[in-house]
Amino acid sequence: MPAQEIQPTRSELLEINRKIRLTENGHKILKLKRDGLILEFFRILDEAKDIRGDIAKRYSEAMEKIAVANAVDGVIAVRSAALAISCEPKISLSTRNFMGVVVPEIDSAKVCTPPEERGYGLLGTSPHIDLAADAFQRLIDTVIKAAELETTMRRLLEEIERTKRRVNALEFKVLPELKDAKRFIEMRLEEMERDNIFRLKRIKAKGREASG
Amino acid sequence: MEIAVIGSQDFIVGFRLAGIRKVHETTSETIQDRIIQILESEDIGILVINMKEMERLPSALRERLEESSSPVVIPVGTEEGDMRDKVRRAIGVDLYKGA
Repeated sequence: MPAQEIQPTRSELLEINRKIRLTENGHKILKLKRDGLILEFFRILDEAKDIRGDIAKRYSEAMEKIAVANAVDGVIAVRSAALAISCEPKISLSTRNFMGVVVPEIDSAKVCTPPEERGYGLLGTSPHIDLAADAFQRLIDTVIKAAELETTMRRLLEEIERTKRRVNALEFKVLPELKDAKRFIEMRLEEMERDNIFRLKRIKAKGREASG
Repeated sequence: MEIAVIGSQDFIVGFRLAGIRKVHETTSETIQDRIIQILESEDIGILVINMKEMERLPSALRERLEESSSPVVIPVGTEEGDMRDKVRRAIGVDLYKGA
């Protein structure tokens, strides 16, 4: 608020005092929110930190296995085995609200199934296909876990950033401006008071002169 | 709900082998339309996409994928991802150091 726009009146001063109180309150609450978010973030950080690496590891492992299967059995055989798979991983997705951040919660039944229940003929295919399927099932397991963790991390980080920006805006922009305005009004009011006292003194002196 | 996989033939065949039914074979030209279709369908919980494909998408769509929570989009690949950078920006410290 630039100084020119402020009316140096007592009611304006009261208004500004009210605003300062409100801002300080909001600042305190936002700070608490930020700390809470960071705490929650640290709680899941350790798990989430490793999950990317796990995905990368499992992914290259799975890709390697399927390359072997492709080479040994031929691309067509692998593809037809893939088409015959009957079991399907099911998941259920729900959302949880943590301090205004909506994060997903994913429940999954076990993805891994033993080879004999997968649905393709064991005799007609080589063990390389089984290994590849195994590797991919493990990859999917990790991906499901990562889906929950990474999205939660992402949301939390966004919210932390937003909250931090708001805390800083209040602390370094809004609050100082309000305090400046308050000081300005107080100064002006004091100045006006001194003006008035001086004027009264002059009038009093004049009155004495006239009577004396 | 189900898991969906989108990507090239090589990418999806393995996931098909692990039992996922909703595999979408696409080329780089058709992938955008398919992704939008998947984002709008109700019964998909997780969308798996190749990280390299993800990086090639226009940034508006990529942002949409990152923000989507139903389905949750997970890029899979050998790259590290942008998490580290995000953490450094939000927290102010590189927490991944030494990990």
